[in-house]
Amino acid sequence: MATLLKIAWRNIWRHKVRSRLIVFSVAFGIWAGLFMQGYVNGMAEGRIRIAIQNELSHLQIHHPAFKKDMEPVFVIHDASGIRTFIEKSPAIKAVTLRHVAKGMVASPVATAGIKINGIIPGQEVNVTAIRDKIIDGDFFPGKSRNEMLMGEKLSRKLKVKTGDKVVITLVDRENNITSGAFRVKGLYRTSNAPYDESNVFVDESTLYPLTTGTPEYNEIAILLKDNKDLAGFASTLKKQYPGLLVESWRELAPELDLTISTVRQSMVIFMGIIMLALAFGIINTMLMAVLERTRELGMLMALGMTKGRIFLMIFYETILLVFTGTPFGVLAGAMTVYYFNVHGIGLSRWKDVYESFGYSDVVRTSVNKEDYWVIIILVVITALVSSLFPARKAVRLNPAEAIRK
Amino acid sequence: MEPIIDAHNLVKVYNEKGIPVYAVNGVHLHIEKGEFVALVGPSGSGKTTVLNMIGGLDKPGKGYVRIAGVNISEMSADKLIQFRLRNIGFVFQSYNLIPVLTAKENIEFVMLLQKQKAEEREKRALELLAQVGISDKADMRPSELSGGQQQRVAVARALASKPRFVLADEPTANLDSVSASNLLDIMEKLNREEEVTFIFSTHDQRVIDRAHRVITLQDGKVVSDTKRT
Ligand SMILES: Nc1ncnc2c1ncn2[C@@H]1O[C@H](COP(=O)(O)OP(=O)(O)OP(=O)(O)O)[C@@H](O)[C@H]1O
Ligand SMILES: [Mg+2]
Repeated sequence: MATLLKIAWRNIWRHKVRSRLIVFSVAFGIWAGLFMQGYVNGMAEGRIRIAIQNELSHLQIHHPAFKKDMEPVFVIHDASGIRTFIEKSPAIKAVTLRHVAKGMVASPVATAGIKINGIIPGQEVNVTAIRDKIIDGDFFPGKSRNEMLMGEKLSRKLKVKTGDKVVITLVDRENNITSGAFRVKGLYRTSNAPYDESNVFVDESTLYPLTTGTPEYNEIAILLKDNKDLAGFASTLKKQYPGLLVESWRELAPELDLTISTVRQSMVIFMGIIMLALAFGIINTMLMAVLERTRELGMLMALGMTKGRIFLMIFYETILLVFTGTPFGVLAGAMTVYYFNVHGIGLSRWKDVYESFGYSDVVRTSVNKEDYWVIIILVVITALVSSLFPARKAVRLNPAEAIRK
Repeated sequence: MEPIIDAHNLVKVYNEKGIPVYAVNGVHLHIEKGEFVALVGPSGSGKTTVLNMIGGLDKPGKGYVRIAGVNISEMSADKLIQFRLRNIGFVFQSYNLIPVLTAKENIEFVMLLQKQKAEEREKRALELLAQVGISDKADMRPSELSGGQQQRVAVARALASKPRFVLADEPTANLDSVSASNLLDIMEKLNREEEVTFIFSTHDQRVIDRAHRVITLQDGKVVSDTKRT
């Protein structure tokens, strides 16, 4: 009934301040929800971006047995041929071969377990951003042989600086312990502290003499142009090389998905709190609006307005308030998210904390269509549910008593 | 002929669990079409309670109310709403009108609930506004009208549904004597010319003097019932 809507709409503006307060609360709830969602998304996307850029790439190929202990015998046969094949795909941005080994690094004062990444510098720079992360010294190639890039964090643990010597110890093909001296050529820092603490980079040509003895590769890292092609390209590779293990970043770092879903879940709690506050505000205000109109409602019932219509009127009033607030909230939320997507939210104060978990200290907020819908639907459901209480209160009035009030 | 209102042995007790208050205690009433009745009595004598029971807003504890032969005391709440809508017009002391609707819209509202067509609603609303003498206020909201004008709109609204009778609980209580007298003029005219049945409660002697029949209540009982001509 259109008149009922008209009456409801006019009724809500009888108390301008109060109605504006609800409209504002709704808008604020949506804004806060969008902003938080955008922040969480931005954090998650930032983490994934960092992991892909610095650590994992989109896809990696190994010998199926290699991952367990990184034993030097499990090399990829004809890795160069595979690389040539992969490079032809239009989905590829870059691909690199690596010779990776597990070992220990020792300085005069300390030792640490590490992963030694034997890289082909010319290829590596196209796949990972390691060269850009150097904060002291230089990237490869250098003048002398046996040079190493070390995470700044690890260098502090080992108390070494650029130019110092360290010794790495590892096992070779025959399971003999071998070792070699390397000079620290430079220090790098990514925004993932645990990674920095456990990864060193050397030229693969300086590493294989210690392990396989011959130039071999046991890791192929692939960077795609677009994450969207991931699943498709992974399955192409799996079909092409059934004997090898092809893994996406998700499979390489299952904990990444886990942390992200954990963060997302905490978002649910946050949204719950917002919605609860909103519901409380709506119920309170609308109950007040019903109680102070007791006589008027009694009059309407006496006139012949059915309980259903009374219910509907109060229901409409609530819904109209919510619908008035929603566009403001969405607009403000979208604008805030857009602003911080462009400018980023700097968290330099918490930089260390964030980096110790592998998160960037600059979060670029982002929300997708589903996020908008989820939040809008949540708010609308909250409004619908909270409108039931005041509407029920109104319906329960006895006309004879209401008029006497 | 069946009386338009037949109230039989109405009893209404409040606070039954504690000290019972016999708001109405054995009231019999017969009111015929076209009567112009004042229900009078001291405060607390049961006027409002009687009107509410006759109007189907309240159920009697004992006894029954028949409107044109239909027992409304046994009706379900939903049926009663429909019955009220079609048969009874109400005018209250205050809070009569929907504040967010104009005078005309207020009058149309009842007809809207009766699902009448838009043209008919408009036509009748304007007619009624003319009858109560405030055609020029059609598009004003209640807050823009004086108390007397508001009560006139309330009377017009009560008539919009073409009810069998109009119940008015102290319709002049909030009005100055001139406005009260004007309202009574209008009610009397409608009674005379359109044969509208009015039952109104009042304290005001000047209003009582205008009634054609005066029923006096005391302690929930009818103590006198006099007709004038
Ligand atoms: N809801 C209620 N609960 C308890 N007692 C009530 C209730 N409503 C009315 N009463 C009592 O019933 C009696 C009759 O009340 P009623 O309102 O019908 O009187 P009235 O003649 O209309 O009085 P007034 O002239 O003051 O309007 C009074 O004693 C009143 O206190
Ligand atoms: Mg009374």
